[in-house]
Amino acid sequence: MSTRIDNLRSLIRVNRDVPAIPFIAAGFVLLVLGLIGVARVIFEGHEAVYGVTRQVPWGLLIATYAYFVITSTGLAFIGGLGHAFGFHQFAGLSKRIVLLAFIVLLAGFTQIGMELGHPFRLMYLLILSPHFSAPIVWMGIFYGIELAILGLELLVIFNPAGTNHKLAAILGFLALVVGVLATSNLGFVFGSLTARPFFHGIYFPTFLVVSGIAGGAALLLLVYNIVYKFNVPEQFKEAMNSLGKLMGLCISIMIFLSFWKVLSSLYTEPQEAYDAVITLLRGPLYANFWIGEVLMALVLPLALLIVSKAREIKTMGLAGLTFLIGMFFTRYDFIVAGQLPPMRAGNEGSGVETINGLMHYTPSSGEWMIFFLGLGLFLFLYFLSERFLILDADAH
Amino acid sequence: MEKKRYAIVLDTKKCLNCKACTVACKFENYVPVGDDTYRIWVTELPLQGKFPHLHQDFQPSQCQHCENTPCEKVCPTKATFKTPEGVVLVDYEKCILCKACMTACPYDARFVSEHHEAVEKCTFCMHRVSEGREPACVETCPVRVREFGDLNDPNSRVSRLLSSRPYMQLKPEKNTRPRLFYVL
Ligand code: SF4
Ligand code: SF4
Repeated sequence: MSTRIDNLRSLIRVNRDVPAIPFIAAGFVLLVLGLIGVARVIFEGHEAVYGVTRQVPWGLLIATYAYFVITSTGLAFIGGLGHAFGFHQFAGLSKRIVLLAFIVLLAGFTQIGMELGHPFRLMYLLILSPHFSAPIVWMGIFYGIELAILGLELLVIFNPAGTNHKLAAILGFLALVVGVLATSNLGFVFGSLTARPFFHGIYFPTFLVVSGIAGGAALLLLVYNIVYKFNVPEQFKEAMNSLGKLMGLCISIMIFLSFWKVLSSLYTEPQEAYDAVITLLRGPLYANFWIGEVLMALVLPLALLIVSKAREIKTMGLAGLTFLIGMFFTRYDFIVAGQLPPMRAGNEGSGVETINGLMHYTPSSGEWMIFFLGLGLFLFLYFLSERFLILDADAH
Repeated sequence: MEKKRYAIVLDTKKCLNCKACTVACKFENYVPVGDDTYRIWVTELPLQGKFPHLHQDFQPSQCQHCENTPCEKVCPTKATFKTPEGVVLVDYEKCILCKACMTACPYDARFVSEHHEAVEKCTFCMHRVSEGREPACVETCPVRVREFGDLNDPNSRVSRLLSSRPYMQLKPEKNTRPRLFYVL
């Protein structure tokens, strides 16, 4: 009995040094706002509370869902590198990686749960009436399995009797593989929409995976800076250095992919794909695109990483922060831009109302409240863990 | 006996834009009132020519009951399905309201129904067809713009129209193979 208590003591302590309280408080406030949003949806209905429409059926919640779940699989990818592919520098981060991946995935699930009109129906119909050629079925399967793997990994890593490193390595490898499958398939959830050529092709599955890895690295850089008050100890320097390089590499690939995506959507004006990309370059989403995506997700973080030479950890933390903000715009823009070209011209009698030939969408206050639910859940749960758990893993 | 292949053939040159079909559909199918809740529509196409020689066409339309069916392909629960006659329907009890079908449909033919708590759209009025009646829009039209029938029956009105007149379909580049035909 006493050894068991001792074992538990090896997992739990009150970490007074970690500045967790402000984040826990912020998370709590956001959670409360989010729960008010949930109540509104329950009492008033999705249609009344959300700003999505017949012509733009997917909006902020799908964007936030993608933002969270793809970042989670990016984290799992980095964890898998550490566990299974001999990138030992990441092994020392493994507890935080798995915990972050798990909580971020949960935050993503809140978004899809509140987006679907009948989330519980999905759970049993996935078993009773699955349509296996529909990519959403695979999305449910892959992300469901990913959550289970990460949950098991948590149990293994936080086992008071000590971590079974072999099992952790196997689970880490599985989380990496299933995560890549889940995220590339998420690209195909959009790519399979006949009506939306902007989403077709290999670009989105690849871009989502690569940007997810960058997002995972960015979140780790930011979290380590916060936890150690911008004074990350020597023992993590090598890991931070590798994260910075990985993030820089992924951002470079993102720039390359985006350049060709934009160019191939402009050249010869391929109908709806052209219209979608124009909404980004000089249409209703131009500020999101140029400031949010190009500046915050690509140029600024890459510049900061180059300036830091992947050594100055504070600068890399800042790069992580700008990237995480910018990446939110990439998710939002990609989902909304693909839906702005109308399927029918906005002529009299058509029922379609266009502005300059395009559909329009602005998230409602209710959608923002659900966004707060996800963000609040993440901040609250993660920083609560930082406050009470011992998260500095032993390297193995 | 060969199974039926239902289709609608429209002769839009006759259309008066009276919108009787849209009203009939609303009443027949209890379609909720609202700007975004409609199964069929009559689009006023842009004016052609220069004053005083002007001309305008109207284009009534609805779900195309695509043979290559984008909405059905992405539906995760088989809520959207095709009958043997090729009519695309939604089983409201199975719809989870993921709205993938709405984003996949190239004709913007679907919407969320608060009444059914599911996605709905034109059903070719299968509840009437099974009783030997025509869809409400077909029956109501004062100038008979639409004909409904079986493409596999060479003597049906739809087959005879398509064998005697040139026709077009909406968005052929999407390769959806619609069951709505517009004779020219
Ligand atoms: S028109 Fe739209 S709703 Fe109708 S069958 Fe085709 S894709 Fe489905
Ligand atoms: S909204 Fe309903 S009918 Fe449409 S794809 Fe989802 S489950 Fe199927």
